[in-house]
Amino acid sequence: MKSATQAPQYRLQGAGLDLALPYLMLAPGLTIVLGVLVYPLWDGLRASTRAYRYGSPVADVGIQNYVRLWSDAQFLNALWVTVKFVALSVSVEAVLGFALALFCLREFRGIRLLRTVLIIPMVITPVVVAIVFRLIYASDAGMLTALSEAMGGGAVQILGNSLNAFIGLVVLDVWEWTPLMFLILLAGLQSLPHEPFEAARVDGAGAWRVFADLTFPMMRPVLAVAIVLRTIDAFGTFDQVFVLTRGGPGEATRLISIYGYDTAFKFQQTGYAAALFVTVGLVVLGLAFSAIRLLRRIDAS
Amino acid sequence: MSSVLYRKVVKNFGALNVLRSLDLAVPDHKFLALLGPSGCGKTTALRILAGLDMPTSGKVFIGERDVTRLQPRDRDIAMVFQSYALYPQMTVAENIGYPLWIRGTPDTARKAKIGEVAAILEIGHLLDRRPRQLSGGQRQRVALARAIVRDPAAFLMDEPLSNLDARLRLTMRGEIKRLCQRLSATTIYVTHDQVEALTMADLVGVMHGGDLQQMAPPIDIYDRPANRFVATFVGNPPMNILPVTLAEQGVMAGGRIVPLARARLTACRLAEIVEIGLRPEDCSIAQPGAPGALPGEIYVVEPMGNETLVNVRLDGGNVSVRAGRDFRGSVGENISVAFDAANACLFNSAGLTAVQRVNSNGREK
Repeated sequence: MKSATQAPQYRLQGAGLDLALPYLMLAPGLTIVLGVLVYPLWDGLRASTRAYRYGSPVADVGIQNYVRLWSDAQFLNALWVTVKFVALSVSVEAVLGFALALFCLREFRGIRLLRTVLIIPMVITPVVVAIVFRLIYASDAGMLTALSEAMGGGAVQILGNSLNAFIGLVVLDVWEWTPLMFLILLAGLQSLPHEPFEAARVDGAGAWRVFADLTFPMMRPVLAVAIVLRTIDAFGTFDQVFVLTRGGPGEATRLISIYGYDTAFKFQQTGYAAALFVTVGLVVLGLAFSAIRLLRRIDAS
Repeated sequence: MSSVLYRKVVKNFGALNVLRSLDLAVPDHKFLALLGPSGCGKTTALRILAGLDMPTSGKVFIGERDVTRLQPRDRDIAMVFQSYALYPQMTVAENIGYPLWIRGTPDTARKAKIGEVAAILEIGHLLDRRPRQLSGGQRQRVALARAIVRDPAAFLMDEPLSNLDARLRLTMRGEIKRLCQRLSATTIYVTHDQVEALTMADLVGVMHGGDLQQMAPPIDIYDRPANRFVATFVGNPPMNILPVTLAEQGVMAGGRIVPLARARLTACRLAEIVEIGLRPEDCSIAQPGAPGALPGEIYVVEPMGNETLVNVRLDGGNVSVRAGRDFRGSVGENISVAFDAANACLFNSAGLTAVQRVNSNGREK
């Protein structure tokens, strides 16, 4: 009897509301997703097919912006610099991060503190990191110059030299993002089963063979995910370069993001910049997809 | 093959005393089962022999060699793990061949040996598969194959059957026993399952609280337990224990005098006897008031098919009795429990068996 008197309380507004209720409850979330994700994406796509003057669209140009990209030497250079930057940074980060993770897997005094210290760079605001590195690299009052002079050398040129500036940028990225690799790989290592490693030790494997025959093959999927994540992220590197070099000297550190920013805000070519970023987005998406497919193939074989 | 010896092996994990001082010798070619409840130290003892854990103090010998400080790979042993511990990204053949490959055995010799052990364990058709494509029983066979592919000084097995389902466990139990007999290998087998220990082993070592309680052939573990722990841990249902006090012609248990032979009674007098132990199959159900039997009432009746387990409430505690399959009786019914006192173990206040049973399942001891 109790249920008979209580049930109607939930359906006071009738059957119409019953049908609409799920949609009503989804509406706030859906609105936010549409507003901040879908609409900007669509707007960006639309912008990439237009020509702009003083921030307003003036003409539809179809795919012309996209075509122009591939004969733009500055774009191609920026793309090349970005690929070099990403490849170098991410591979150094992967190797360093893996080594640190293997080291921190062991239990010894102070290991917890060490693990915590190691992830600090990752949680500092990128702009702050870049400012600190500019203070280190500065040729007049920088830390490196001070060190060099203390040892009887001259001023150290980092940001004024093309190659040095590029390497300096990679070092900054490695310093800041190795911790992320380290964290993902440490979590991966900690989740591996113990027994196969003990079995291998009993079966006669030394430390190197255990790594080559067990650790590395078992970690391959985690490593791949970490590399894909970092690669996608590194393609979008902006703040550090913006603060450190603004892309200079010359075009030595002009990553695709800096070139896109310049195109949009310095040169006011909003449509062209949109086409550029859509293209980069597609390239990264393609990279990620092929990486994951490759991973699946390795896994399945 | 070699003998195995633990000498005063102690293992502490921080403040936790896992092995108190283990002295244990396994003769060459013998199958020893280390039996005990969780946390008794049996797995730690095995891992110390494997070199996966270091003892806090004491020494371990394999054959004549002191291996206490050696790396696992230098100990010349093979181990089967509870979770099989197969190498997930290698094929079955690569798994089995790994101990040979790591030692640089030539390809042809290795392939021949892999084929040989795969045939013994009937997994020849699985050689190209990977571990995750195998069933539990197949993985178990691969793990065994990997262990026997070399000719090690000793086999170590850490609860190898406990991840299998009941039926498969029964089959594999027999297979491992056959395999070990065929190889005539020194084997240390850790288990918490008394049936595995009793059925497979030449020697059973019962452990509890970091101490070896008793080491003896299975039948002696069952018939002549060294103490109250072994008596109640081995046997299913476990040995019945009743408190007793000394009396003129015997001991007082369950409200009746149980007469004892003169020699045993003298031993009881000397030893501060506090409890009597009786195996359920040494007891029988008798009419109420039967002479010499202990009066009680039926508490639970459990028909097992081949027999009936009857739990009887006596003055002083409950006892289990193995009755015939055609036993009929109902809960609350007054009956009595009869037994031959010559089959009883008597325990002193320290829990040690002060007076052993006289008969040994019909065999005079």
